[in-house]
Amino acid sequence: MTPKAPAALAVALALAVGGVVPATAQAPIRIGASLSLTGTYAKLGKNQHEGYQICEKELNAKGGLLGRKVQFVVYDDQSMPATAVRLYEKLITEDKVDGVMGPYSSPVTEASVNVTEKYKKVMVAPLAATTSIFKRPPGQKRNYVFMVISPAEVYLEGLLDTGVKRGLKTVAVVNEDTLFSKAAASGAEEVAKKKGLQVVFKEAYPKGNTDFSALLTKVKAANPDIVAAATYFDDAVALTRQMKELAVNPKMFGVTVGGDLPEFYDTLKQNAEYIYGATQWEHVLPYPGNQEFFDSYKKEFNHEPSYHSAAGYAGCLIYAEGVKRANSLDADRVREQLLKLEMRTPFGDYKVDQDGFQVAHKMVTFQWQKEKKVIVWPEDLAKGKPLFPTPPWTSR
Amino acid sequence: MNVVITPAMLAQVIVSGILAGSLYAMVALGLGLIFGVMRVINIAHGPLLMLGAYATYFLTTGAGLNPFLTVPIAMALLFVVGVALQRTLVFRVVDAPELSSLLLTFGISIALVNLAQLAFTSDLRAVEYITGAWVVGGLALSKPRVIAFLFAAGVTALSFVLLKSTRLGKAIRATSQSREVAMVCGVDVARIHMLTFGFASALAAAGGALLAMIVAIQPEMGGVWTFKSFLVIVLGGAGNYPGALVGGLLLGLVEQMASLFLTTQLSEVVAYVLLVLVLLVRPSGLLGGRQT
Repeated sequence: MTPKAPAALAVALALAVGGVVPATAQAPIRIGASLSLTGTYAKLGKNQHEGYQICEKELNAKGGLLGRKVQFVVYDDQSMPATAVRLYEKLITEDKVDGVMGPYSSPVTEASVNVTEKYKKVMVAPLAATTSIFKRPPGQKRNYVFMVISPAEVYLEGLLDTGVKRGLKTVAVVNEDTLFSKAAASGAEEVAKKKGLQVVFKEAYPKGNTDFSALLTKVKAANPDIVAAATYFDDAVALTRQMKELAVNPKMFGVTVGGDLPEFYDTLKQNAEYIYGATQWEHVLPYPGNQEFFDSYKKEFNHEPSYHSAAGYAGCLIYAEGVKRANSLDADRVREQLLKLEMRTPFGDYKVDQDGFQVAHKMVTFQWQKEKKVIVWPEDLAKGKPLFPTPPWTSR
Repeated sequence: MNVVITPAMLAQVIVSGILAGSLYAMVALGLGLIFGVMRVINIAHGPLLMLGAYATYFLTTGAGLNPFLTVPIAMALLFVVGVALQRTLVFRVVDAPELSSLLLTFGISIALVNLAQLAFTSDLRAVEYITGAWVVGGLALSKPRVIAFLFAAGVTALSFVLLKSTRLGKAIRATSQSREVAMVCGVDVARIHMLTFGFASALAAAGGALLAMIVAIQPEMGGVWTFKSFLVIVLGGAGNYPGALVGGLLLGLVEQMASLFLTTQLSEVVAYVLLVLVLLVRPSGLLGGRQT
């Protein structure tokens, strides 16, 4: 007998005798998630985790969900898809959690979603931005996965659109060779074609690459007006440093993920100036509850939330809303509600199509200006003008 | 859509390859020494490099030292760590079958990475000191990488002087050639093992300290360096110390050339295909193994 068994027995006895117990004495609703707490995506995965934590705290402060407390069960997948697959199996079959939330990043979600679909678990995947996870060929449809953030393909649209409006003609696209970055890069290529920009160079590099000299030597030779890089954090930093070292001087340089983190500026200092980034969320955006979320997050964790934090937070709120409306944890009933749901969270709008693909949320483009991220695109949300063109490294 | 490769680009990439290769050579020399002297493949070599990088980070941000001044301090610290590891753990597997030493050092490596995650967290850190480049006749020479190259070349040269000309170095090489004969000649083999492990850890630390100024520091940064160092000593000839120099520069150049002429994605593939080819055609490495 395990040490807990006598206690469980006592509870069972009490139940049998007493019949009804007050709602507060019910077991909590346990929500399982595998997150990248260490490894390449650690920084971003941790922010997402903190978003979940704020949501958990807030739901419990408001009396929980369906009258029960909410409790997250979180494991570390070390940023590795294969590990996440194992962890979701464990969460569902061994820990028998009541619900799941998504992991960090597209590659990890893509791998994990096979498990959650197998066991028919609704998974709101707040940090998966790759279209192919949701839009499936006939016969391989996925029914229980829901998207929260804008798809990877539109990340670099703001950068390219801003460039085209200022008369730029050519672009080089580089990307990490993983699911999200590839989608962001091919999305950028599509956008470039539509806007009449010529793609003069395109190349992928492996995850974990640290030396970009040869790649950037080729970029320099192609002499593009814009360098659009579909990155995560490490590679965004390394690319920036080596662009300076190799004197690669495009008129605009933009990255996707990582560039929006305060650490990006802390690491690169003034070398981060003029760099464009894309973000799903900023705390200055006028969404309801946004400022309150920002304040309580900062108080709790002593640092500012990134969009990963806000998406994690919002994803959890969306799942909770689905459960609330379904008045049940049953996957099919929650799914039905999530497909119909239209919601404005502190992260922005949520609405999905029949594939669970996000159609309402908006992306913004910013530029690092004097230690601050200034939103420069789209115009209706912009807070400032881009500093254009980016001066060469030698005259900054 | 692709770029025409000009001689200037080729020159640039050769420079980058040599700069990267010098670091590979210095770090791999440590792995090679341990293998030569103890017949132990030290999987924990990369994690020791990671500790060197953190030493530089904390000495720079905490104690306000110039990052280049921290290189010898990081080496000294890791020398002590290396000696301690050897005295407590590694000496037990020196005469054991090779699988035992692999498992032990693999275990040490996992322990070091996880301890680092606990102690330092997995936040990415960086030492932003010198950035940018010197431009010499159309060639851009990355400042941090050139300085790292000079340090690495200096440390490697000193290591060779130590191995060639000092009593200690001769004892290390003698132990590497034949432990029994060295022992008969009065060499304290246990002490040599200990010092070699410490010295090798110091070389890894030097690599880490210099890399701290080039790439982001995180607990898992070392893993790839174990593999690259292994690749280098196999290319150059395991147990052959000048081979590490040749292997290191070769690896740096091959990676950069593959990135230039093929794609960056393929550069690692090419490096490992080269490893397989060398193992097939010249299993003792390009310079032959075990001559010191």
